[in-house]
Amino acid sequence: MQAAKLKSMYLSLFVAFICYLLPWSGVGLLIRPDFVLLVLLYWLLRSPRLCNIGTAWFAGLLIDLASGGLFGQCGLAYAVTAFFAVTYQRRLTLFNIWQQSGYIFILLILNQLTLWMLKLFAGGESPGWSYLLPCVSGILLWQFIMFSRIGIETHADKN
Amino acid sequence: MPRRAIDNQYTPAFFVRGPSPFARLIFFAALSLSLMATDSRLHYLIEIRQGFVALLYPLQILANTPANVYKNTKDYFVTHNSLLSENQRLNTQAVMQSAELQRFKSLETENAHLRNLLDAAQSSAQPAKMGEILHMGRDPFTHKVIVNLGSRNNILEGQAVVDADGVIGQVTKVYPFSSEVTLITDKELAIPVQVERNGLRAIAFGHGKDTRIDLPYLPANVDIRKGDKLVTSGIDGVYPTGLAVAEVINIERNPNSPFASILGKPSAGIENHKQLLLIDLPDPNAMSPRAISKKTKPITPELSEPKADNASR
Repeated sequence: MQAAKLKSMYLSLFVAFICYLLPWSGVGLLIRPDFVLLVLLYWLLRSPRLCNIGTAWFAGLLIDLASGGLFGQCGLAYAVTAFFAVTYQRRLTLFNIWQQSGYIFILLILNQLTLWMLKLFAGGESPGWSYLLPCVSGILLWQFIMFSRIGIETHADKN
Repeated sequence: MPRRAIDNQYTPAFFVRGPSPFARLIFFAALSLSLMATDSRLHYLIEIRQGFVALLYPLQILANTPANVYKNTKDYFVTHNSLLSENQRLNTQAVMQSAELQRFKSLETENAHLRNLLDAAQSSAQPAKMGEILHMGRDPFTHKVIVNLGSRNNILEGQAVVDADGVIGQVTKVYPFSSEVTLITDKELAIPVQVERNGLRAIAFGHGKDTRIDLPYLPANVDIRKGDKLVTSGIDGVYPTGLAVAEVINIERNPNSPFASILGKPSAGIENHKQLLLIDLPDPNAMSPRAISKKTKPITPELSEPKADNASR
């Protein structure tokens, strides 16, 4: 079961990465949710043994490579977000879906703010409120990800 | 922590989670901070990055497929009428332009003749390559596009990029199969310009937030008007002289500031073109030493320009 879970984890991360690579432009680019981070958070909460801060960090590096940004900035932001997700993971699995969504929303905002701070240090411009739009679209997408319950069906089938 | 200490003594192997999250966080944070420092200050990672981006290229092609398939099917079902009208429009454009081209040729020979008489250096034509935009930059807050030509097509860092209406930007990163073009609306890109009406030289910077460009460091009493055309001045040795850059749309003269704040609207269709031209860098033998130093960091020489200008004024 563990191996099957691992496979579906990497597969879902790969699909999220492809979603990130789609040629977004204009408004779509502005509101594009952070697919990879959402899938990472799902697995972090579902099974922190398979997916931990290291996985998040490597995924962040991959995003940095694809985006052409400063090497390691997304890795750091993902690692920080993953840390807060893992620390409260045991409590979070007991939350109901609305409490979970609220916590995920805070994590998404935390990720954006960390990235923003790193970009400010690197000499970027200050983006304004539209910078937080991906958090809103992300929390909408989160409902679908929770609904999909990747990696849980296999467990139910076994029983 | 003391609360945990007791738990840990009796923790069955089932709950063992390896190093604590905090230790992992510190480790990876240190790793990424050192990576960021290496990348931004020491420039060691350029080759590694190029290799990885080349590996990602097939994935990129895969991700672009849905959009391409959609575009191709849409092109396939284009109507007879729209094709006819487009053909007609292009024909008219071709006739108009060939008339202009004839005038241009006679002017060019005349110009060469005059330059001969004056013993001035000949301005040589710079060859260019046609490229296509693969996708917009991944970060919505930097103004960049990715083009399908790379180091395999002899693209070099610092090349100027134009479309039919004017300057779009400059190549800032080159990968094997693609390259990154920073648009003139990006805050980090500076371009030496000249007011077409009176030859006044200035440096234009991207405005960042919207698709506008900024002319800072011009004194409040400068002779510039709304509607003035800005063209490349060519003193940097990268952009050919006389390409359209922008049109001045707003001038604010604040009595508290020694500088006027001037905004321009780019003449190139920065947001809506698919094809663009990458103009080759001028022959290195003909380059001035100032322009050669551009290779490592394309923006610095242009940045140093306005100070010299202001001092002479």
